[in-house]
Amino acid sequence: MATIENTQEHVPVSWSVYKKIAFRIAFIFFILVSIPFSGAWYTNLVSIDWTRPHYRDIYDIARYGTNIPSLFGNSARQGGGEDGEGAAAAGSKKAAKQKVAARGSRSGDQPDPQAAELQQLSRRRSWWSDYASWGNALVLAVIGGLIWTLLDRKRPSYNVLYYWLTVIVRFRAAIGIIGFGYTKLFPTQMPFPSLGLLNTDFGDFTAQKIYWLSVGIVPWYQVFGGVVELLAGALLFFRKTATFGAILLIGALGDITFVNYAYDGGVHVYAFYFVLLGSFVIAADVPRLYNLLILERYTVPHFYYPDYSKPAYKYSRIVLKGLAILIFFGVLTYTEVINFKYDPYKQPATAGLKTLRGNYNVTEFKINGQEIPYSPLDSVRWKEATFEKWTTLTFRVNKPVVVDPSNGGGSPMRDIQRTFEIAGTAGGQRAFHYYADTVEQVLYLQDKNAVAARASRIPSEADPKIAGRTKKNDNWISDAAWKNIGDENKFIDPAAWSTRRDREFARPERGLNRAKMILKYHTTDGARVILTGINESKDSIYVVLDKRNRKYVLPESTLNAGKY
Amino acid sequence: MSTVKLASPATEWKGYEKIVLRFFFLYFLLQTIPLDWKYYKGLFSINWLNLRYGDIFFISRYFPSFSSATGSFVDWLIIAVLAAFGTFIWTKRDKPDTDYSVLYYWLRVILRYRLAIGIIGYGFIKFFPLQAPFPSISNLNTNYGDFTDWKIFSLSLGIVPHYESFLGGVEVLAGLLLFFRRTASIGALIVLVFTGNVFISNLAYGGGEYVYSFYLISLALFVFAYDAQRIYNLVALGKPTVPNLFKPVFPGWQENARLVAKISLIFFFVFVYAFKTYKGYRQDPYQFPTTAGLAGSAGIYNVSEFKLNNKAYPYSATDPVRWKDVVFEKWATISIRSNRSVILDSTNYEQISYKDDERNYEFAGSGGRHYYSFIADTVNHLLRLQNKNKHYGNDRLVLHYIKPDSKTIILSGVSQGRDSLYAVLNRIDKKYPIKLGRRGRLKL
Repeated sequence: MATIENTQEHVPVSWSVYKKIAFRIAFIFFILVSIPFSGAWYTNLVSIDWTRPHYRDIYDIARYGTNIPSLFGNSARQGGGEDGEGAAAAGSKKAAKQKVAARGSRSGDQPDPQAAELQQLSRRRSWWSDYASWGNALVLAVIGGLIWTLLDRKRPSYNVLYYWLTVIVRFRAAIGIIGFGYTKLFPTQMPFPSLGLLNTDFGDFTAQKIYWLSVGIVPWYQVFGGVVELLAGALLFFRKTATFGAILLIGALGDITFVNYAYDGGVHVYAFYFVLLGSFVIAADVPRLYNLLILERYTVPHFYYPDYSKPAYKYSRIVLKGLAILIFFGVLTYTEVINFKYDPYKQPATAGLKTLRGNYNVTEFKINGQEIPYSPLDSVRWKEATFEKWTTLTFRVNKPVVVDPSNGGGSPMRDIQRTFEIAGTAGGQRAFHYYADTVEQVLYLQDKNAVAARASRIPSEADPKIAGRTKKNDNWISDAAWKNIGDENKFIDPAAWSTRRDREFARPERGLNRAKMILKYHTTDGARVILTGINESKDSIYVVLDKRNRKYVLPESTLNAGKY
Repeated sequence: MSTVKLASPATEWKGYEKIVLRFFFLYFLLQTIPLDWKYYKGLFSINWLNLRYGDIFFISRYFPSFSSATGSFVDWLIIAVLAAFGTFIWTKRDKPDTDYSVLYYWLRVILRYRLAIGIIGYGFIKFFPLQAPFPSISNLNTNYGDFTDWKIFSLSLGIVPHYESFLGGVEVLAGLLLFFRRTASIGALIVLVFTGNVFISNLAYGGGEYVYSFYLISLALFVFAYDAQRIYNLVALGKPTVPNLFKPVFPGWQENARLVAKISLIFFFVFVYAFKTYKGYRQDPYQFPTTAGLAGSAGIYNVSEFKLNNKAYPYSATDPVRWKDVVFEKWATISIRSNRSVILDSTNYEQISYKDDERNYEFAGSGGRHYYSFIADTVNHLLRLQNKNKHYGNDRLVLHYIKPDSKTIILSGVSQGRDSLYAVLNRIDKKYPIKLGRRGRLKL
């Protein structure tokens, strides 16, 4: 305890007027950006079933940006709510709706005035305005800080408050970065490319996709990235090491901010958020280090440290710190391991039919009985096909498709919504999810590219027409077939079942006009597979696939997520 | 060395501290003072009147390697054993008046400058994005799975030149901080974080520069160690901390000599090198060949007709000989995609070469296509193709070309000196997501 007494001696008695004003503004600002202000965050928190947790339950506690509405009427443009992981998990419903609308406008065929306006909005949203929510927080902070200055002019200093503000910022940053780090430590954030992606030309990917894949091919590097982020988080939990953690945080997340700008990753605001928090944490040490290293002067640090020997302080500190460590290192480790082993969140979790898996040449292709010979230029005939190790059939056709610009993230439970294998991929590559009726040997296939499906109209759950269509869509697989297919919720290993998963499967999928195929498959050992049935444009097709022993230059992954 | 005077009294050195310093002194001298004859061979072949950025890059990249071009940790072990042996003798014969603070100062000076030069060497070829150029048309039209991971790393960096410049900027900044005693530890810290990442990337992506990047890290660790204790004391323990008290004082002309040496070093490795790399970036990027290709022909072509020895081959996904598509680069390279397998050229470290036939970046670490350099006889419409890959030295084609319109090329001639070949190529109007708008809707 001697050191504490020692340091308390060095607490400066009074602060300058400017320092006090700056502190008041900073205090309000950092409280506004560090504390969740969206209802959805609290809804998630109270609805967590701690007896059957899912990694995303905890991740969503850790994952929130700034959501401060403007004083001047405009609603917050979800600065920081633009979730690079696909869905504004803890963002407001309004933000989510805006996003759907924005996506719709991106993919709308007709330049109707509303879409044009939205497009303009989204253009205006770029660069500076992405940080609008921070600006709003700053305006509030300046006004609040000035009022506070008027009311509290006599106070000599805010050492105590400064200490506690640093604690809040440290913990906010630590929890956030740990949430990020775990999806890399057990590498699920950037999956190893599937067969369909390996067979796609480099130039057919979007910039974002190229970045995601370039990390996905080196899972051990991804693990290293996770270790760095977790280390930064762990160091931030403790006062003595916080500055080192913050320096690591600024270095790593500063780089990630730039990566997101360069590759259009979409997480630049949230990444820079950590640079901001980290900068606040090191703020007090920077002048000291300058004094010591550059000026080479004797340096005495002044700071307040509370006397934790009082039992009330002592125990609440132990409980709070213990709880944070238990949840963000204990529960999160457990759920992330489960996720990595059985349910990697960017890959479909259901194992694909074992006999079918692999790369195929399309030897024969008939449409409505008419054979089409192989040609790289034909806009109907499949050029090549793959059955992935999970429930996806991919094929390539020389016909343009609207590209899904997302990174295929988010937290969907349904395999069809896990779109990493098709997101950001052009070149006529198609991916269809299938339900397999193994008794009748029928595949029920749906297009995974939801953006292409949305292109025709903007869906809304409240729209009765869409709801009706959803119902009709549900009928395309007969009850008898469903009996053979089974319940998707239970397809994964029971160890990975969770309440969150149950809840999502209890809700019907949002109405989307997905392209569908129903194909019978015949094969003995998978060397030759014959598909017959109705394709997405209601034509009858007959396809002969011959397995191809495709060798890749890219070395195989030595660390594979999922159980297939 | 005795000329340095201290501004404050020297600190006492404990016996083991002296031994440790003697060891590191010898070890790092052997690591940083060029003793390798191969290095001098390279130095003497530089044309100093027409200095190019590749020459300065070469000078900046010295490290002792007795075996391979990329070095090995075994070399380090040998050096450590030599240094330990030297330490033993030194300890036996040490003179009592040796000032170890001065010795430590000079060692740190050597390492600071060596590290600064090394990190700036790589910094400017990224700051002016030369190291990872934008992928060639052939690279864009190769399956993702047909690249090595190291190649993918380079291609992925190549699509974002601004980010590459940013990375280079960080390296240059770290280097500049290392030139000055008081900011050296901050520079070293940046190197530790940055090059630490480069080192891990090299391991993960199968890059060939993990030894060299770890070499830079080892220098940075030693430079940083000087202030580590002080920083820990101040930041972690929150205790009052005594600064570095050693201040070198150079009497008379020595101060001027020091300034001249310092300024000329910085002038050469920062200003001259920056200027040369910038010029190189504008006029002579080093990864792709310089010789111009066939005018107005760059692009990817579908092979709509293909005959070998007068036998027509229809489109086929599986045929072992039929060409699938052909790329004409802007420079004198043609690449052909077919089912014919490729034995890789697996270069994975940085070398700057000024001869076209030594520039192998476009096909290093990439399968799926065969790459040919060519000499064009535009009068007789002849292309003499030579497979660029060293594993296919005998693969040559002599092809006559006709361009009936701007989008078609008809090739006919002899392949491998025996087979007659005929191919009709039609340019594909290929669109690439990375070249189109980033935020708009893409239908491709």
